[in-house]
Amino acid sequence: MNGSSSSSGDWHDRYYHVDQILDRPGPRTDPSFLAGDEVKDFLRNKCKILVIGAGGLGCEILANLALSGFKDIHVIDMDTIDISNLNRQFLFRQKDVGQPKAIVAAEFIMNRVPGVKVTPYYGKIQDKDDDYYLQFNLVICGLDSVEARRWINATLVNLVDPENPESLKPLIDGGTEGFKGQARVILPTVSSCYECSLDMLNKPTAFPICTIANTPRLPEHCIEWASVLEWPKVHGDKKLDTDDPEHIGWLYSMALARAKEFKIEGVTWSLTQGVVKNIIPAIASTNAIIAASCCNEAFKIATSSAAYLNNYFMLIGTDAVYSYTFEHERRAECPVCGGESLDITISKEWTVDRLIEMLVEKQDIQIKKPSLASGAKHIYFQAPPQLEEATRPNLEKKVSDLIPDGGEITVTASSLPFSLSLRINYS
Amino acid sequence: MLKTESIDIEQATTHIQAQPDNKTRRYDRQLRLWAASGQAALESARLLVISASATSTSILKNLVLPGIGHFTILDPKKVTPADAGNNFFLNGHSSIGKFRAEEAVSLLRELNDSVDGIADLRNLDDILAKEDGREWIQSFSLVIAHNLDQDILDTLSQLLWENPTSPSLIVHNGALPKTYAEKQAFKANIRNLSQKLDEENFEEAEAQAFRLWSESPVPSDISATLNLPRLDQSSSTSSTAFHALLQTLRAFINSPESSGCLPLTSTLPDMKTDTESYVKLQIMYKEQAKGDNALFKTILKKEFPDLSIDEAMVDAFVKNAHHIKVLRGRRWGTWDKDPASLGPANITEEALRTEVQSLVGQGVELPEQLDDAIGEIARAPTADLPNSAAFLGGMVAQEAIKMITKQYVPVNGYCVIDLVETWTGIVGQP
Ligand SMILES: [Zn+2]
Repeated sequence: MNGSSSSSGDWHDRYYHVDQILDRPGPRTDPSFLAGDEVKDFLRNKCKILVIGAGGLGCEILANLALSGFKDIHVIDMDTIDISNLNRQFLFRQKDVGQPKAIVAAEFIMNRVPGVKVTPYYGKIQDKDDDYYLQFNLVICGLDSVEARRWINATLVNLVDPENPESLKPLIDGGTEGFKGQARVILPTVSSCYECSLDMLNKPTAFPICTIANTPRLPEHCIEWASVLEWPKVHGDKKLDTDDPEHIGWLYSMALARAKEFKIEGVTWSLTQGVVKNIIPAIASTNAIIAASCCNEAFKIATSSAAYLNNYFMLIGTDAVYSYTFEHERRAECPVCGGESLDITISKEWTVDRLIEMLVEKQDIQIKKPSLASGAKHIYFQAPPQLEEATRPNLEKKVSDLIPDGGEITVTASSLPFSLSLRINYS
Repeated sequence: MLKTESIDIEQATTHIQAQPDNKTRRYDRQLRLWAASGQAALESARLLVISASATSTSILKNLVLPGIGHFTILDPKKVTPADAGNNFFLNGHSSIGKFRAEEAVSLLRELNDSVDGIADLRNLDDILAKEDGREWIQSFSLVIAHNLDQDILDTLSQLLWENPTSPSLIVHNGALPKTYAEKQAFKANIRNLSQKLDEENFEEAEAQAFRLWSESPVPSDISATLNLPRLDQSSSTSSTAFHALLQTLRAFINSPESSGCLPLTSTLPDMKTDTESYVKLQIMYKEQAKGDNALFKTILKKEFPDLSIDEAMVDAFVKNAHHIKVLRGRRWGTWDKDPASLGPANITEEALRTEVQSLVGQGVELPEQLDDAIGEIARAPTADLPNSAAFLGGMVAQEAIKMITKQYVPVNGYCVIDLVETWTGIVGQP
């Protein structure tokens, strides 16, 4: 590594602005800060950073990191570009529609900001193993999926080896919805992790089946009726593809007819699409704020040039500008970083099926398809099919017939790289 | 200004009756926030941005993407090596020596074919010195200025304040951490350090943001609004109309023909009931809303027979009567007309502290936190950092969108940002 300015494409005064921060400490700078050449060399020649997501936040994050002086950036995204991305994902143009986001974004950044290397991976984060994640100094997430966030969070917590400080990879996570957003810094095993704060997520609106089937009042009820009840009835096993305009069109006309029948107004194409795809409003300006905040934290952590966010920043732009910065506390019974079992108290009469229903609904657990075991004993397994069939009869059994008072159940799900221990108490 | 927050998805999308066209698909994620009416307002807005700095282009990016009608960048400067390093809307090294405004405009226009943008290489001083130049500035619907010198900023803000056709947003940034180098904000901050964060306010805002309707006959904040005095002659025509609407609303509530409540909006909230009674209730609700609207218009005509006012504006006002909010801006610099300015030459910690002390008055004890702010400004007095520029770019664009669409509530006062500990606060709220 020669790291000289000529090989990295730098020109005199390229970093005139950033260097004002890197050349001397400020009043809130940690004494470990190595002002001057040493920190610049680390940032520009040694630091390797991973960006997860090349969408609304990802595009902004890549541009900010490149301008801040990060030169070895990797980006993962499994999506391709859609026309509805173009109102905010500013590295993409009309001609790029259909292309992989990670690849187009990486090329754009390398063209615009010379000397920066962006390595794209078009695929899933789950494709990569521990060795892959271990090569980075920092990870920034700009994702719209709770499941992917839980996965990377658990993976980074599991990577931590107390004997090896290098194995602790700070995770910076951002998220937006309309004019609102949040950014946070997670130091795996040290500060509150993503799983610790799962109960802060908004509960998705679910409409009761009986309302949808019998007493619709809102246009959303009619749309849910068309997608949840009518689609499988008419199309059998054919899967509903929410990206297929013909499918949306079918749902729209069914929902509209039902709405007419019940004299309900407001079913539109756009609402239909919004309900079935659970579309979250998104704009460039909010993404800019949150992405900038994430990258600013990454810059401060990578360089130690200033104190960093401890640990949660929330912003609401709907009514003036309100923000709230606070320290989210770790949860001792967090299944990822806590280590303690979660105590739950249930009735002696509860069946295994009822317990599963509760786990799916519980805000701080949110496991879609849980499998249950007690030690080596299978209670109920969602997969493989043979095991599911073999354990299915247990669903009707009482939990109290299988587990003694104070006994433990291990809950797993294929989508999550961790297990949850429950200690069962009977009321 | 109408406070039409929480536009529900039904309202936001009713204009789309079949598979949407390309434009609607492109803007889908934002139409769900500000609907076709907000989009139309954006598309007819003309924006003047003074300087093509990193912060200015960050702001513009967030307004070109959602489809602002037109923007002009006013900047006579050429790209320096430092500009080429921190501004994403320049072509790196190859832009050095070219005009900043021209380089930025061509890269910004690539973001959205339907946006018209031009570079203007004139000097702001020269423009402000001539009558036709001043008229030209007033032809814009919004003016955004970044880091202007105090003198010229004073002249500009006086022009815009006295001829209130175009609102302005003024952005100043100092170092990485503190964007309130501007001395007035400094002064306010010292008075308001205790207001840095207010959890209660935050929770209230969160609750407000989701409030769809109000249960009491006339909420207290709206009654207070109704009792505002009429504006004097110098006010612009649009606020004259707005105040006429407010007076009419007061007369409406006091009218024997109304129920003493605000006019009904036509959206009935969901409640657990069977379909038939819900639909029946909805029809009654709509009838009542229609009657209230008609009564309102009758009163308006009687009270203000000579006023010409757009029917759509009246409808929007009545529909959003539960969410009215009056925002009164203030001229930049109202707090402090002290001519002593803070030139970059004398930015040392001691000079800053002396400056602050002279602003708040000798004998006032300066809080400890002030040293953190002063230290960061002295550390990086002229830095326009990429992340700070991007952060401000998002904040200012959000405000611009709220002002242009007249939806949601813009900030009133000075918004200050600390990007070391990462918090924002508002000081100097009227
Ligand atoms: Zn945790």
